[in-house]
Amino acid sequence: MHQRLLLLFLAFIIPFVSFSDEKQSENKISPEERIEVINYIWKADRKTTPVADHSSFPQLQKEFATAHDVTAACISCHTERDKEIMQTNHWMWERTEEIEGKGKVALGKKNILNNFCTGVSGSEATCTRCHIGYGYADKTFDFSNPLNVDCLICHDNSDTYKKKKGGAGYPDESVDLNYVAQNVGKPGRINCGVCHFWGGGGNNVKHGDLEVALLDSRRDVDVHMAIDGEDMSCVDCHITENHQMAGKLYALSSENKNRATCTHCHTDAPHADNLLNEHFRRVACQTCHIPTYAKVNGTKMIWDWSTAGRLDEEGHELHENDADGNHNYLSIKGTFVYDDHVTPEYYWFNGIAGHQLMTDKIDTIPVQMNSLDGSYLDKGNNQRSKEPSKIWPVKAHRGKQIYDPVNNTLIQPKLWSKEKGDSAYWKDFDWHLASKAGMEYIGLPYSGEYDFVETEMYWPLNHMVSPKEQSLTCKDCHTRNNGRLAQLDDFYLPGRDRNKTADFAGIGIVFIAILGVLIHGSLRILFRKKANH
Amino acid sequence: MKVYIYKLFERFWHWSQAILIFLLFITGFEIHSTYNLMGYELAVKVHNATAWVFLVLIVFAIFWHFTTGEWKQYIPTTKFLKAQFNYYITGIFKGASHPTKKLVYNKFNPLQRIIYLGLKILVIPVQLISGFLYLYFNYPLKGFELQSLELVAIIHTLGAFMLLAFVIAHIYLTTTGHKPLSSMKAMITGWEEMDEESAAELVTSQLEEVLLKTKKEVKTKTNKEALIHKAYADAGEKTGANEAKRDTRFKNAISKSGAGYFCISKEGIYRDVNDAWVALYKYDSQDEIIGKHYRLSRTREDFKELEASAEKVLNGQTINHGEVKRICKDGSEGYHTLTMSPVRINDEITGFEGFIIDTTAKRLAERELLKKQLRENDSKN
Repeated sequence: MHQRLLLLFLAFIIPFVSFSDEKQSENKISPEERIEVINYIWKADRKTTPVADHSSFPQLQKEFATAHDVTAACISCHTERDKEIMQTNHWMWERTEEIEGKGKVALGKKNILNNFCTGVSGSEATCTRCHIGYGYADKTFDFSNPLNVDCLICHDNSDTYKKKKGGAGYPDESVDLNYVAQNVGKPGRINCGVCHFWGGGGNNVKHGDLEVALLDSRRDVDVHMAIDGEDMSCVDCHITENHQMAGKLYALSSENKNRATCTHCHTDAPHADNLLNEHFRRVACQTCHIPTYAKVNGTKMIWDWSTAGRLDEEGHELHENDADGNHNYLSIKGTFVYDDHVTPEYYWFNGIAGHQLMTDKIDTIPVQMNSLDGSYLDKGNNQRSKEPSKIWPVKAHRGKQIYDPVNNTLIQPKLWSKEKGDSAYWKDFDWHLASKAGMEYIGLPYSGEYDFVETEMYWPLNHMVSPKEQSLTCKDCHTRNNGRLAQLDDFYLPGRDRNKTADFAGIGIVFIAILGVLIHGSLRILFRKKANH
Repeated sequence: MKVYIYKLFERFWHWSQAILIFLLFITGFEIHSTYNLMGYELAVKVHNATAWVFLVLIVFAIFWHFTTGEWKQYIPTTKFLKAQFNYYITGIFKGASHPTKKLVYNKFNPLQRIIYLGLKILVIPVQLISGFLYLYFNYPLKGFELQSLELVAIIHTLGAFMLLAFVIAHIYLTTTGHKPLSSMKAMITGWEEMDEESAAELVTSQLEEVLLKTKKEVKTKTNKEALIHKAYADAGEKTGANEAKRDTRFKNAISKSGAGYFCISKEGIYRDVNDAWVALYKYDSQDEIIGKHYRLSRTREDFKELEASAEKVLNGQTINHGEVKRICKDGSEGYHTLTMSPVRINDEITGFEGFIIDTTAKRLAERELLKKQLRENDSKN
């Protein structure tokens, strides 16, 4: 009877509920649904200031012979902006950072090796498709010429601009420069995503939490960028002043500074529950709120260069895919393993990272391409990090890379060239020649011998924040076996850890008490019966 | 027979503590991942809240123990310790009686004293301190800090196991009273059922305690009337009379146990007696005795002794008599112990008063025993 009534009730209620759901998705986040935030104006509350109509400007209507002419037109009105952008990491591809034990080092895409396509040196013409400039074909590129700046890659709002493959950063011939120049504005997700989603040679290869699905995702993928939510763009969090963006990537930087943080909007006590707020002292927001990454498309977890170079009988390159359609073998790159809906690994992190520089000797295997500093006992007494280490969710990427077993350093091979016979591995498939050419290009020694060594790289996760209902619960970590933090064993975690001896002794005492009671009680009953007889 | 032992606060404290410890067990072992019951988050919250309530209760309990002098109950003693131990190991099976009797300041047996003291000064403080360290110094941060939760957690867990073992034994031992449920009922109602002899001893000790206190004050203070009222109130409290006024069982208990009150003028005329006195002397009401001379309470030969005592009291002394024989209304005899102290009005002694505690049952028992022994001796001879 009760069940029937309930069903009847539901039958009445459901149409209203689903109707109101629809309404909400139309209106984005309704004021009632909003959580408390600071430093942020909800989209619905923003006063849209009229933007200049760039199509009406004569400077942008004249025919552009080259992309440099577009830049000239931009800075003819937006004076000084060229100087701003030319000081940024996006332009310089390096920044001076202090690394523990190594002093101040110029770090950046210019000179650092990663765990994917290794590094840009010798292959700039293809890699610099993601540089915000024109003509970065080799190390002779003029970083001081404002006309080399590519304004459009970030400010194109027409969604028609693209850079040419292997074109050293120049736009593709198909691009209508006038049309693009007349349709410029603030960067949207696609402007950032074109490089940050596809870095490493394919969608979601590197980050795992940044990929093309974020252009059109729902709240369960990313609460911030969801089109049925606030539909935020990258620059809403990576706040930009004078072209300097907040936020950084620990693949390329080292110091605990200029980080884009959750607390900027959410404060450091965003939960109604004190117990949860307390966790923030040692647990990053991301740890609970990014329960999995690569929630739509797979991300590259393993890249083994050592198997590269296998060709078919006719000498053609091989392309092999896994069941999901992701590459698992390419002749030019080797073997890959992709995975989606990945559970992060967890590490202590205090905002300071180390790096294996090209000049560094290999002293650990697997080679730590970058390393996240931190431990349970690090309470922020590290001078460069005032904050205690926190537990972070991390994408760990593992691989095998080419190295010089005699010099005991990693090798930067020359990978790309337009033509065969230029020592580029991707054309000639000869590791020795590629290594020789690559190391010569950057002026570092190569012994003539090469081998492959295991490598690891760590990517702290920040995106693909889940709705709160999907965030981790207590038992994900506070559990005896196979919890999320099972590997992070340098501290006592309630619910996970116990002292076996103490538990054994304690259970023993209780057991003896129970046994004693049973024996004593039985004897009493027995003797009473006897006495009665 | 039932005697009042556990006072209202004591019972409130005991059961609140029992509930809190039970809650701490249930939630604590869930936090320890021994099982999943209410969910980890709820378990942590309940555990933390319970800890605070427990702390408040302990503050009240400490205050109570020291203001009432009840802390003395926990002074450890080795006297009868072995006897008590042997009782649990062997005597209990043979139906032997408890080796120790409950008295006012000795309501725990020597084993209880040691175990309860251990709980109070060791296990519970260790649990509280380790618990609050666990709760508030759980992250290694600035200031006073723990380098790791590990040691605290181990101590706290071990303490919990010890407490659990105690609770198991404690609950079991409640069944070793006069009847299996006597102790449990006593902790609920305050009244413990026990055999006549134990009850008499306990009530006697309760009254003695009051009388001793009054006696001390008689020597030092001058406002006798207030003193008498206070002694009344104390006796009422000690024997549970105040709380038991609504409870007719108390009247029976007090009359059977022999605590009668009398007040006699210096001329030797009964001014006042209580119901217990009336019952002991087998009168039907107070009216039958008030206004009469106290001569009729004794045999002729015994009266001289009483008269001599009365004279001493009228001269200002307080007397604690041994056992005396009384003559009841119907001429039958009874036995009781007796206290007498002077009654002063405006510094002038106007009479004397006191309590009598019936010992007839004991006397009769002794007589029976003696007869038995004599018979045995006869048969041997």
